Amino acid sequence: MKKIIFIVFISLLFWSCEDVIEVDLPSNKEKLSIDALIRIDNNLPSTTIKVKANLTSSFFDKIKPANLEKITISSEFNDWEEELTEEAPGIYSKIVATDNLNQEEITLTILYDAKIYIAKTTYVSSVPIDNLTQGEGTLFNDDETEIIISYTDNPNIENFYLFDFNFGEFLVSEDTYYKGQPFEFSFFYDSALKVGQSVTINLLGVDKTFYNYMNQVIVQSGGNQGPFQTPASTVRGNIITISEENSEENYALGYFALCETFKKTITIE
Amino acid sequence: MGIAKNIIFLLFFISNFVSFAQNNFTISGTVSDFNSNETLIGVSIAIPELATGVTTNEYGFYSITLPKGEYSIITSYLGFKNVKTSILLNENKKINFQLEEEAEMLDEVILVENVEKTDIRTPQMSVNNLAVKTIKKIPVVLGEADVLKAIVLLPGVSNAGEGSSGFNVRGGSADQNLILLDEATIFNSSHLFGFFSVFNPDAIKDIKLYKGGIPSRYGGRLSSVLEIFQKEGNSKEYNVNGGIGAVASRLLFEGPIIQDKAAFLIGGRASYAHLFLPLFNNDNKAYFYDLNTKLNFKINENNNIYLSGYFGRDVFSISDSFINTYGNSVGNFRWNHLFSDKLFSNLSLIYSDYYYGLKLDFVGFNWNSGIQNFNLKYDLKHYINNNLQINYGINSIYYQFNPGKIIPSNANSGIVEEQLIQKYANEFAGYIDFEHDITKQLSIEYGLRISNFVRLGQDEINIYENNNPVNFNPSLLIYQEADPIEISNSGRKSKLKTYSNIEPRLSIAYRLNSNNSIKTSYTRLAQYLHLLSNTSSPTPLDVWTPSGSFIKPQLLDQYAFGYFKNFNNGSFSLETEAYYKKIQNRIDYIDGANLIANNAIEQVILNGEARAYGLEILLRKNEGKFQGWLAYTLSKSEQHTPGRISTPTNGISPLETGINNGKWYNTPYDKTHDISLFGSYDLNKKWSFNANFVFQTGQPTNYPIGQFEFQGLTVPYYGSRNTERLPNYNRLDISATLTPTKNANRKIKGEWVFSIYNLYNRKNAASINFDRNNDTGVNEAVRTSIFGIVPSATYNFKF
Repeated sequence: MKKIIFIVFISLLFWSCEDVIEVDLPSNKEKLSIDALIRIDNNLPSTTIKVKANLTSSFFDKIKPANLEKITISSEFNDWEEELTEEAPGIYSKIVATDNLNQEEITLTILYDAKIYIAKTTYVSSVPIDNLTQGEGTLFNDDETEIIISYTDNPNIENFYLFDFNFGEFLVSEDTYYKGQPFEFSFFYDSALKVGQSVTINLLGVDKTFYNYMNQVIVQSGGNQGPFQTPASTVRGNIITISEENSEENYALGYFALCETFKKTITIE
Repeated sequence: MGIAKNIIFLLFFISNFVSFAQNNFTISGTVSDFNSNETLIGVSIAIPELATGVTTNEYGFYSITLPKGEYSIITSYLGFKNVKTSILLNENKKINFQLEEEAEMLDEVILVENVEKTDIRTPQMSVNNLAVKTIKKIPVVLGEADVLKAIVLLPGVSNAGEGSSGFNVRGGSADQNLILLDEATIFNSSHLFGFFSVFNPDAIKDIKLYKGGIPSRYGGRLSSVLEIFQKEGNSKEYNVNGGIGAVASRLLFEGPIIQDKAAFLIGGRASYAHLFLPLFNNDNKAYFYDLNTKLNFKINENNNIYLSGYFGRDVFSISDSFINTYGNSVGNFRWNHLFSDKLFSNLSLIYSDYYYGLKLDFVGFNWNSGIQNFNLKYDLKHYINNNLQINYGINSIYYQFNPGKIIPSNANSGIVEEQLIQKYANEFAGYIDFEHDITKQLSIEYGLRISNFVRLGQDEINIYENNNPVNFNPSLLIYQEADPIEISNSGRKSKLKTYSNIEPRLSIAYRLNSNNSIKTSYTRLAQYLHLLSNTSSPTPLDVWTPSGSFIKPQLLDQYAFGYFKNFNNGSFSLETEAYYKKIQNRIDYIDGANLIANNAIEQVILNGEARAYGLEILLRKNEGKFQGWLAYTLSKSEQHTPGRISTPTNGISPLETGINNGKWYNTPYDKTHDISLFGSYDLNKKWSFNANFVFQTGQPTNYPIGQFEFQGLTVPYYGSRNTERLPNYNRLDISATLTPTKNANRKIKGEWVFSIYNLYNRKNAASINFDRNNDTGVNEAVRTSIFGIVPSATYNFKF
């Protein structure tokens, strides 16, 4: 919820004017970046592991896919290993049994440019979305669409949630102030959604480290922090190199996470 | 409280050593305005025969002890007629001076005004005085005269630009400024996120800014002391003045309760609620208001009582689903008592608080937070003889911090009511300060402050393994919050942590001749409160937190050296100063730290250090039709948070990176060059013109060194901290004041102020954001600038 306060707060940027300007940016050497957020539906016997591998670029250039030498997913616990295959440039996938993923620590291993990168993660559970309703309210302008989302927090444990509202809109929440309670809040889509359009909202369970990571990703990709600019930093994920010294220069960007995901769809009226 | 006892002992000791040298007599009294009985601060009382003198204190009192003889006394003060009196000093004398305003009396424009001339003689350095008259002349956005906008035109003072709260002094952060309104601490000095300050210029008598060489009677903040004195109220006649401006209107009413003995003042200010209406289509409001009140009662020659109050609030609301209210309230009682014509005392009882509240209906909760403090102060000024003045006193402040309380706003809300853990602390200090003229050339001010800070018990305290609330993750190379191993309840009566500091202060002035002097000073200060702010300028949401087991007090050592010169008979003055500052225990935050509603703030804080150094030049023209100043500052301000000495975990000592890889980095308030030019020109009785120009090196910021994609989001990533800068900031403002000539015969005196802010409509960047344009899918650098050219008109009146 903290984020909501903050977003509303910084949106109160009155009197200001915005324009696009030319800026000379420093450039850095290409880094590997991995998007390995795997959404798990426990009702399905198998899950498609889909990993996107890219190379970072200077901010105004195009991001290019990375051509990995090898990418595998494995578990030391029940001793299995699967190699992902290239589906399209920079996109690697493999279908594995869901039961293999939702138990013990899983390792992602990547060989690229003669360096070995690994990431370890453990499945995090989530809770179903109880209800989605469309509200009448707006916050900043009449074009907004209000969606009221309700869910019931998983009692007894500390929970972190990631909401994927589609259209590149994400929100993180921790249950500090609604432990074990049914909880609802409103999300406002900026531009009016069309009548008849259906919107699917995903509720993912995340751990604290990934919560912090997504929090930074959301803030830094959203860009507009107004006059209350916080010091920007490199958003470091959980992918590390083991073949070389683990230093600022040698890490890869991105994250590997296994998250139970519940979905619900609403049709805009 | 051993320290307290020692201080009290010291005070008795001093009171006893007052020497009653034979044939010395004391002249004492107060200096006030003839028209209103308003006491005047900083009036110079000179004795030319002995080339000595004093100035009146914050309550208009002066005292000087001289050998028996015949003297002339010259009393002079900005904008007032000089008074010259001859006296035969053969006994102790009480002389109260009443000064008459100059401008009102003469038909021609005054050519000689004893303006804020540089004080060559006293060791006090790094101080700027601004008269309210000057502040009101400075052109500002939307025509609202503003204290904070005025002081950023002084050397060594800057802020983050439009729409940013607070100010930065000599490379320090905004929370290192002690802002005192009638001696009460103000925690948030801004309305509307910094567009206006909370001080109503009509209710203010005088302001004084200490940037260094801070006397030992002040403490608790490292960078500066901004003292603001409210008017006392006119005890001669009723007076109303006010103004109607583009953003806000003001009204102030003052007058006698008992003629010449007691007076009141009540002043209010409010902005218009529709201020931001055009920006959103919805029903929303944004406004502020504040109220200043004051009562003074002169019981007799030796006793005065003052009651003053301030209440201010900002309110934002959007569609009734988001309502944000915040502001300060202050109340204080002061009692001036003269023990003798040489010993002046003041007792203050002060309450002040800062409140921040949110109502968020669409998430279903209300949020209240704040800080309260009770302050007891006893200050004595002892005028021993014309070479020595001793100031001493004690001060005790009790703080209560409410980091936040969450309350469900309706029955259906899933929010569980929760009070974040309240924190309590007490800050005690005792000080003594000697203002000593050693020879005609050499004056020294030396003093000592002993401060003691006790972090009192609270309901819940986290206990961490190895007492370490922040862990370093050696494989991910990031700092992470450590989980507490235990939560203990210390009980409210216990002391969690105690800090004591000895803070010596020293200032030396050496007068080369009557117009030139050199001064040097050393200041040590301790600051026990920290504003948790991860942004370049404070926001109303920022929370203050006391030092304790995990957060140590910040300690400052500042050295300054300066050369001061008056020339052309004092019509010009030049002040140059160089300073070096070093701060220990400056906190910084781990990457991605969340400071809002965080119950365990120690988990995201690392202790570091900071340093700043610079050169300041202030050239002032103090007299004539054209007056003004040129200020230039060359400076550097940096911060450093190295990796800590690692504590072994499981036998491994991880090598910590620190923040920014342990390298020094620019603070957000590092401005290499800062130039301010202010000029005012009185053409004739009807028209006067004012202009100011500001140039500043762009604020340090971060530009992305690359981008990556995650879940369809374009994420810029950054390298070393604060290595880039926003474009240089510059701006020119002008204003003209029209005083209609027919005023002279009317009861209502009016005045028009026309101003143009940012005359050449420069789009100064408040920030540059890097993101992907959702419509075009192209990455962009978007500059946010707050004000373009803003013309405005204000009507001020007085009757």
